[in-house]
Amino acid sequence: MTVDAQLIEHMMEPKNYGTLEDANSQGIGKNPNNGEKVIIYLKVIEDEGEDVIEDIAFQAIGCSTTIVAGSMITQEARGLSFIGAVNLIGATMKILEKVPPEDAACSEMVALALKASLETYIQRKTDKDYPIVTNKISNDCVVKDEETTNE
Amino acid sequence: MNNLAIKMHEAWLTTLMAGFMSTNENKQKLFDFSDILFRHFCWIEREMVESKEAYNYDRDAIPIKVEKLSVILYNIIERLNQIDLQLTVVSDDLSYRIAQDIKYITGVLPTLKDEDITAFNSERTLDNIELTQEATDALTLFLFEESYKEYELIMIYNYLKAQSDDAYINRIFQILVDESFFHLKSFGDMMAKMGILGVPRSIYKEMYQIEDVTEFFLAGIDEELKAKEECRKLSEAVSANSPELAKFFDFINNQENYHIALMRDALAHWENKKNV
Repeated sequence: MTVDAQLIEHMMEPKNYGTLEDANSQGIGKNPNNGEKVIIYLKVIEDEGEDVIEDIAFQAIGCSTTIVAGSMITQEARGLSFIGAVNLIGATMKILEKVPPEDAACSEMVALALKASLETYIQRKTDKDYPIVTNKISNDCVVKDEETTNE
Repeated sequence: MNNLAIKMHEAWLTTLMAGFMSTNENKQKLFDFSDILFRHFCWIEREMVESKEAYNYDRDAIPIKVEKLSVILYNIIERLNQIDLQLTVVSDDLSYRIAQDIKYITGVLPTLKDEDITAFNSERTLDNIELTQEATDALTLFLFEESYKEYELIMIYNYLKAQSDDAYINRIFQILVDESFFHLKSFGDMMAKMGILGVPRSIYKEMYQIEDVTEFFLAGIDEELKAKEECRKLSEAVSANSPELAKFFDFINNQENYHIALMRDALAHWENKKNV
């Protein structure tokens, strides 16, 4: 990992780490092989007919890279519409295709947690008891079939 | 009572961080106070266990970036004064003890000589040691990862100790807590000197509310072996420019051997007990 000023800043003071008291959606990204996981909490509001991420937080069981990725991705995601957030996830996954799988896993876990939190919100529009969506990564960083759990 | 424990947890960590920031005789005083606050935290936890109150190790983020030591000292005083107002929830003896300690500590903190803080300047130089860029980067990543790991271990062993009445295993947990404190203080001091001090992130309840103790010990032994390897690699990376620093990481590496032996001992004891 190249250590630059931006990386140090995120390691010293991870942005958006913790929970959101008024969250109205959550999603989990999980590495089933080692128990590492990321939870993303969203506060979503409707703005001119669009769902918008007003606030966002994350927690992680993982290494420093996961924390840095969580800090950076949640910073980017705050204020985005759902379409913008989907684009952010897509762009992140595209970048990760060029990274060795073992280095990509942590950032992928964060991107998939964000994706899961959007999915949870959408599902709960029609079923308020819909369980929190969990997306799992695999060893080679290829997303397995999505599944929902009651975590 | 859980809220009081959370506030004490935050006050303990803030005081510990202030200790890292200090570069003069204030340092030892702040470390001593942080040790006292950690003991308060453990005693409050004990009362929660005895009264069967559900609790967790959640806490808020702790902002510590200051330019003057006095700013963080007044923040600690504020935190302690808030704790003082909540002491009615614990037993009279404990409440009296904590209140008296707070009275003394909040009296001493304003008298400490103020200092300019360099613990956040990101300069990443250590004791005038000339390290290569690669070694500096490796050291930076190691300190962030391992300072968190040591904090995590303190909290996990502490929780397991609070939940257990087994004297044999609790003796081992206490040694491991003490050892992790030494490592955390060593790494925290280095981070402050390098201008990259950060508060370890909070831990999830799944990490300390352990369901499978056998698996926890096995994973813990594996983690210690990985930590040894990280120390070895780091020692190698810095040895050309700083034999002193290399010796320090060899020293930490060798300490991990005993941790592994203790965890194997604890695992054997646990398995025996399970089979009786």
